[in-house]
Formats: sequence, C-alpha cells, structure tokens
Amino acid sequence: MTMGSFEVAALSKQFPTGPPALEDVSFRYEGSGAIGYLGPNGAGKTTTLKLLVGLLRPSRGRAFVNGIDPMDRRKDALWDVGALIETPEPYPTLNVHEALDTVGRARGLSRDDVDREIDRCHELLDLPPLGRRIGWLSKGQRQRVSLAATLMGDPTVLLLDEPTSGLDPAERVLVRRLLTGLKRDHLILMSSHQMLEVTELCDRLIFLHQGRVLLQDRAERVAERIRPRTVDVEFEHPVAADPNAVLRGIAHETQVLSERRWRIGFDGSDETRVRLLSLCQQVGPVTQFANSTLVLEEAYLELIPKSPPSA
Amino acid sequence: MTDETATGSADPEVRRVARRHISDFEQWRIVTFHQLGHYLRTNRFYGLFGFATFVSALTLAFQLDAGVATVQLQQLYRSSEYLSNFLVYTGLWVVLAAALFGGDALSVDFSTGAGYYMLVLPIRRPVLLAGRYAAATLVTVAVVGVTYVFGAAGAAYFFGLRAVPWLLLFESLGVAVVFSLAALSVAFCVSSFIRTPAAGVLFTLVALYVAFTTLEQVVELAQIEPWFSLTYAGGAMAALLDTDFIHVQAIPVGEDQYYYIWSATVIEGLEIMAAYIAFFLPLSAVLYQRKESTG
Repeated sequence: MTMGSFEVAALSKQFPTGPPALEDVSFRYEGSGAIGYLGPNGAGKTTTLKLLVGLLRPSRGRAFVNGIDPMDRRKDALWDVGALIETPEPYPTLNVHEALDTVGRARGLSRDDVDREIDRCHELLDLPPLGRRIGWLSKGQRQRVSLAATLMGDPTVLLLDEPTSGLDPAERVLVRRLLTGLKRDHLILMSSHQMLEVTELCDRLIFLHQGRVLLQDRAERVAERIRPRTVDVEFEHPVAADPNAVLRGIAHETQVLSERRWRIGFDGSDETRVRLLSLCQQVGPVTQFANSTLVLEEAYLELIPKSPPSA
Repeated sequence: MTDETATGSADPEVRRVARRHISDFEQWRIVTFHQLGHYLRTNRFYGLFGFATFVSALTLAFQLDAGVATVQLQQLYRSSEYLSNFLVYTGLWVVLAAALFGGDALSVDFSTGAGYYMLVLPIRRPVLLAGRYAAATLVTVAVVGVTYVFGAAGAAYFFGLRAVPWLLLFESLGVAVVFSLAALSVAFCVSSFIRTPAAGVLFTLVALYVAFTTLEQVVELAQIEPWFSLTYAGGAMAALLDTDFIHVQAIPVGEDQYYYIWSATVIEGLEIMAAYIAFFLPLSAVLYQRKESTG
C-alpha cells in the first residue's frame, strides 16, 4: 500500500491586509494515523489546509502532499488526497449520485468502481437517497455527501477541516467511528474544535495560535503535561454543606451544580486532588469524582490564550 | 519550529479500489458533462430557452397570421432574406446566454462552496475551465439553435422546402457557434476576475451589449469602422444570409459628402471573433489559475 505524507516547510501566508495568517509553520507526517490540528478561530488552520491543496499560494515556504508541491503539479499532488475544506457545495441541481459520480470518475475510477464506491459510502455514511437533489438536502446530509466525495476512490491522505461541523450528535458519532477505522491505513490531518472528537481520534496534536505552531506532540504526551484543574463530585445523597466552607484554602473556586453535585476548581496537583476527595467523603458518600473537562480541552485552554488574535 | 517526522503503524492492506491515471482529455469530458448536467437544470436555462422559443414561436405565429403572400412580398420573395431577418436577434440570444452561463462560470468557485468541491479534485484548472467552457457553449448553441429551427421551419413553410438555402443556414449557424465561443471567452474572462457571480453576469451583459453597441455608434459618428467590436462582428451571422449585403453603405449627406455605415463581412466577423477568443480565453485561464480561495 502507498504510504501517504504531507509536509509544510517554513510555510507563511500573508494576505493583503491584516497580520500574517501563517508564520513559519513546519511539520511533516507520513504513514498512517490521525493528527489533530487545533487552535482558535483565525489561528490559521484552514489556511494551512488550503495551502496543502493549492487553494492558496504560500507567501514563503512550501507545502507538499505525498511529496509533491500542489503549486507545481496540482493533478499529481492531489491524486491520492481527499480534502474536505470549509463547506463544499456540489451544484444544487445535481443529485447525490451525479455529484459523487463526477468525483469518482475524475479520480480515475471505472464506472463499476464508482458505483461500488458510492454504495460503500452510502453504507458508511448513511447517505440520503442517491436520486435526491443536493439542493433539497439538509445541511447535515450535504456535509455527509461532501465527506463521501472526500472518501471516493479511497485516497491515502485525508485533509479534513472541521469534518463534523453541521452534523447532529448521532451523525458525529457515525463520522467519528468511520474516521477511527480509516486512520488505521490512512493519514488524516483534521482540524477541529470538538475536543471529544480529537481525544477519541487523534494520535498526534498540533496546536496553532495566531499563525504559529505552539506545540506538536503525541496526544498522550500532551495529556501527561496537562493536569486537569476541575473535578466534578457526585454524592450519593443530597448534601446541605457549603462547599466553600468545606474546601476553604484548597479549592480555587466551587460551584453547586445540584443538590448532589459540586464542581471544584483547584491547582491540579495529585496531592490536592487526594485531599479534596478525602474532604468530600467527610461530607457524604461520594459516588463519582472525575475531571469535569477533557484533558485535551484543558491543554487547549492552557496553551492557547483566551485573548483574540491581535489585529 | 522544529520539523517533526512521525511514522504511524500502517497496516499494509490491499487497496479496495483500483484507480488508473486518466488523461486531461478524459477529465475534460467528465467536467463538461458535470457542468452540462447542471446548466440544463438551472432556471436560467429554462428561462432563456423558454424565452427564445416563445419569441421565435410568436414571430412565426404573426407571420402565419399575415399569410404566405404577405410574408413572401415582405421578404422580397427570397427565403434567404426571410432567414436573415428572422435570425436578426441571434446576437442578442448569444450575448444573454454568454452572460448567464459564462458570467459566473469561474467566480462561482471563489464566492460559493462550489470551489471547495471541485478545486480540491486532482484536475488541472485549465481542464476545469475548458470543461465549463464547452458546456456553456453547448447550452448557448441550444438556445440559439431554437431560433434557427423556427427560422428554417418558417422558410420551408413560406417558400418551400427546396427554396431554403440549407448550406448557408448551416454556415450561419457555424458563425453563430464561433460568435458564442467569442462571447463566452469574454464572459469567462470577466468571471475570472470578478468575485461576485451576479456582478459577473451583469458586467458581462453590460460589456457585451451596452458598451460595445454604444462604442460602435460613437466611432461610427467619427466615421471609423468599428472593427474592434464583438457585436459588430456578430453581424456576420445575418450577413451570410443577406443577398443584398453591402459592407460599406455610403449615405449622401451633402454635396460630395457621405455618411458611411459599416457591416462586418463574414470573413472580417470571423477574424474579429477569433481574435477575441485568442485573447480572452488564455487570459481567463491565466487569471483562473492564479486565483486564490480566500473566502
């Protein structure tokens, strides 16, 4: 099987106005797996993906997919790449089959293989009826058709920009399962705001902020570096105690979520965590004591300042 | 930032589907049919085709109402004269079709999500452009063709099937196709630098119809042949069928003073059209190739 790869080398992008959208960004991945590309809005995630498929020209540096610069040899570079960027809109006048047929045939599939691929995608993504016009589909259905178009012909490299945006929770689960299966033998670069998605799916992470890479590492190594600073406590019975009084000097902030549930902010150390649990158990029997947010969400918040990118 | 290389544990598995590298020509055919399938279901096509059919049918209906003898007299007993007059609005249909199908043919990729569907495929942009150009030409010819069908039917009815100058009619249709290619080249060029589709359509319409016509009249006042104008060249479609065609009409306006009116000859018209295609189509390709998806 062909090994996929993508690389950006000292890549920068400056639009006519505003600060640089991307500044000296470098990374290279090959083989298989899922790489999460994280950052707030305007960080440069979509810009990077657009540069990788040649939708934008770099101001400096270069981008390569499967070793080929799309600015030099577009057709060869994108031959084994499926890209879902922004919100693709197939012509609304065409039906689902026609929209996918064009993509499959343009990627070199025979008519029979196109039909097989459409059937495969229909099954994988629970596509709407193939004869239905694109213009009549819901946003989520259109997104699934676009994702199917990305997967037509089974390209090795998948560049996905917020692949689950516009999908309902059930559709998100469907797509997450699909991508989890695909990452075994595909190389996926996925930008996302959905931390659950990233946590479940990605083996490696790249954190981007204001056009610069802040951190890139294995997901578990990032998780190790981050100490979650919020826990949710659930008691067996309703408690009347004031958490501020009980946890004075240890908790940074407390919140009563319900008669049986508290949320506690603390310094993140294991020592404090043990003390918090012990104090809570003195209030009443504890049935649950767990991080209130995902570890990667904590990492995201810690790495990326809340302030918006400077204008 | 340090480069990082990471190799995942790929499970070497046989690919499910076999893909063959296909030629640009095959991709051009795929894009053409894709685009044609779209155009043929748009309200623009229904509207323009319906309008051209309605106007042609209405013209024929009035002529039928007037009767064979009147029509023959009006058209100087010549079927070619009849056809020349019947097809006088062909240029307008071409301009309208070029604006509606070409005015946003490329800008649609940068102003809507259509580009994120097509431009991420392994297809060279000039191939995409060529496919869309071919599809736009086909629908334009379909719109123009309907007037030719009604014209031919009218000529056959009023003058007899044998009297219809079929060869000239097909030659005129051929000139109309070249005129369509030239008008679409201008429209594609407009859509390669104007971002908003509606503005592209409007700009093309204004450029091809209002601007050229106005400019033609202005230079004619200065007694210069408007050889640079595409709409002037479009006159060649009817000129081919006009048995009394005069390239330069000299109208006396005083003693030894004449006011000249020019009509493009077929060759001259074809040359002007070819020049427009040769200039605007490659320019569209260059602009389209360089355009970025910033939206």
